[in-house]
Amino acid sequence: MMKGSWILLLVVTLVTLLGPTRAQAPTETHGNPQWRTPAQLKHQAIEIAAGLRCPMSANQSLQDSQSPIANELKAEIYLQLEQGKTSDEIVDFMVARYGERIRYMPSLSAGTALLFFAPLCLLALAIFWYLRQAGSAASFNTSQEDRS
Amino acid sequence: MNGLVPLAKGETMTAEIGLLLLIISLTLCLLTAMSPFMPACGVKLWLKPYQPLFIRLNSLAQMASLFILTYLFLCDDFSVAYVANNSNTQLASLYKIAAVWGGHEGSMLFWVAVMGSWSCVISLKHGKSPFFHFLHAVLGAIQAGLIAFLLIGSNPFARLLPGIPVEGRDLNPILQDIGLILHPPLLFIGYVGLAVCFAAAIAALLDSSQPLKQHCKQMRPWAVLAWAMLTGGNAFGSWWAYNELGWGGWWFWDPVENASFIPWLVATALMHSLILGERRDRFHGTSLFLAILGFSLCLLGTFLVRSGVVQSVHAFAADPLRGGAMLTLFALVSICGFTLLLQRLPSLYRPVNSNMLSRESLMQLGNLILLVAAISILLGSCYPLLYEVASGQSISVGAPYFNSLFIPLTWLICLLMGAAPLMRWQISNPGILRQLTVLAAICLLISVTLNALLLTEFAAHFLLGSFSCLWLLGCTGLYLHKRLAAFTGAGDNRRYYAMCFAHLGVALSILGATCSSYFQQEELLRMGPGQGKELAGYTFIYRATETVSHTSYNALQAKIEVRDRREQHLAYLYPQRQTFNSNAMQISAAGIHRSLFADLYISMGNRLSDEEFLIRISYKPLIGWIWIGGLIMMFAGLSQLLPRKMCQESRAPSPQLAVKGA
Repeated sequence: MMKGSWILLLVVTLVTLLGPTRAQAPTETHGNPQWRTPAQLKHQAIEIAAGLRCPMSANQSLQDSQSPIANELKAEIYLQLEQGKTSDEIVDFMVARYGERIRYMPSLSAGTALLFFAPLCLLALAIFWYLRQAGSAASFNTSQEDRS
Repeated sequence: MNGLVPLAKGETMTAEIGLLLLIISLTLCLLTAMSPFMPACGVKLWLKPYQPLFIRLNSLAQMASLFILTYLFLCDDFSVAYVANNSNTQLASLYKIAAVWGGHEGSMLFWVAVMGSWSCVISLKHGKSPFFHFLHAVLGAIQAGLIAFLLIGSNPFARLLPGIPVEGRDLNPILQDIGLILHPPLLFIGYVGLAVCFAAAIAALLDSSQPLKQHCKQMRPWAVLAWAMLTGGNAFGSWWAYNELGWGGWWFWDPVENASFIPWLVATALMHSLILGERRDRFHGTSLFLAILGFSLCLLGTFLVRSGVVQSVHAFAADPLRGGAMLTLFALVSICGFTLLLQRLPSLYRPVNSNMLSRESLMQLGNLILLVAAISILLGSCYPLLYEVASGQSISVGAPYFNSLFIPLTWLICLLMGAAPLMRWQISNPGILRQLTVLAAICLLISVTLNALLLTEFAAHFLLGSFSCLWLLGCTGLYLHKRLAAFTGAGDNRRYYAMCFAHLGVALSILGATCSSYFQQEELLRMGPGQGKELAGYTFIYRATETVSHTSYNALQAKIEVRDRREQHLAYLYPQRQTFNSNAMQISAAGIHRSLFADLYISMGNRLSDEEFLIRISYKPLIGWIWIGGLIMMFAGLSQLLPRKMCQESRAPSPQLAVKGA
């Protein structure tokens, strides 16, 4: 039962680790824009703006920045959402206009693979160490019991 | 040197005395650093007995130097470049004192002086074993490095001669806040604590006359103090940004924030590892590794912040020239530390003899995950820099990336943090495992229900956050219940209660962070006198635009009335746009109505027409709990350090403790 619960825990962990990256994708790619209420539109616009970097300020998101260009781009995002574009399309539009630098969540490519996989590998290493130590502890304990 | 130039009225040699004291301090540091090694080099110069004297004199010299700098600020001596750049006659006295650490040179001096005093306190409190000789030597060497850096590249006492300005450039307006008085000193004390732990780790590796356990036990209170100070420093820093920066955010994963957050993560792991080592006489290697890593990362963080290689919203005293020196210091410290550790590694090995679900295994796994989090955040902060160097293109790594990384890791850590105290040392405890499974199921059920009821879509981060919070509360409650049931009145229970409070603090911070990010409501709109807006049941009415003058700034402020759900007057809020007299810099100061359950936050943006401004109104439920949690953590840590008269004698084994004869 214990083994089972730990395996379950590991599975849940992996799922939750991967989950958010998928959650970044728009939830309503196939949705008709008419279905979205103004409140939902606003929420989505804020979400997109919070994930983009203001081209003018030092290190602030579009949502937080008060520079004129940020306000303009926020309006642009809202406008495009109303036209029925998806989050992905809007982000791609911004990247085409301002370069990769504008997005705070870098896209996965050969150059950024390390950024995404290094933490996962480190975590796997930590868990591997833990499991191995548990294995050696079990053998240590049995050998102790054998001796006694 | 001053004799060549006619002295202005009231001008004295004070700054030169400060510089002289700094040079004296450098000499004393070098003597302290050399003293334990002199006999070994075959030189018949017995400095060792004088080491305590050097340390005390050094501390005095550094404190005097720091006081002289403070004095120069208080008497507006603008012939000193650092004072002229960071102060102004119109600055309030309190800020003049705080301005001492408001810039690069002064903050380094402050750092060095705290390190000297800490070394002095240790030398007054503890004996003269080889361990302490080595410890002071390492601290002396670090101080010598920092002072040399100050003297060569960034002398705080450098004069502006002969063109003495009549008036100083002002202290950076963003820094003129209560935050400056609290945040940097706490952070620097925390950094110094990590430096002391580093020195202790090196000393423990050099001195093999005593068992490692003894050394690591010495290190524990320092690590706890360092951790508590870093907790406070980070919490105040975040609170300051929330009040001052005007965007309503409290954590942005900015490189400067990360530079102080990464050492906090490592300090957390270090503290837990030391506790483990003290109880189980194992994991000393991990503790030493974390101690060395912690201080190295402080230096690396300082390099990132001070060199200006990373772009930050909190850009602070950035200058590429300073980067090189900090990087050298970082390289020296980490190479020396890790080489020494690697050399002694075989002797640090202890056989593993604990079950997978024992308390120490879970704590150790938690420490490793903290380490993973720290390294990943470091990688994320440096990645744009590395990427640009490698490919010539620039990318950004920001909040969405860090959140999707850190929140699941926090969840894992919370899982272990809740469960570990309930487990037994060394062996597993099947009874408690069943209870924990039930608790986990309940927490999962509640958080899924909350998600379904309160949010329109599945939100992974919300689930993780609410689960972590419920789980921690549940586990801590269960633990307290068991502990009180087994309470006999004997033994040192204070540590356990401090632990419970600290973990409770984490739960509250997570609660605040989750609620404020998922249930925040926000409006960005143009507003002018007479206009109103309803948000989250509150009505906000723009009454008037006022002008306010202050000694150091003029401000435009909006007077906005807030009415609660029953249309009763609640408060007036005054968000401002301040324009500083000294350098015409504009900053915004938010108007905040704080309460235990929600903050109402208004910031004032650009002028859109004669009458109207861009106004941002936010309703942020439970946001204050983030900092309440931080404060609870900090005080839980500090409570450990109070003199323990009554609990000295009995560290009775806890009822759950079952030591197998190994």
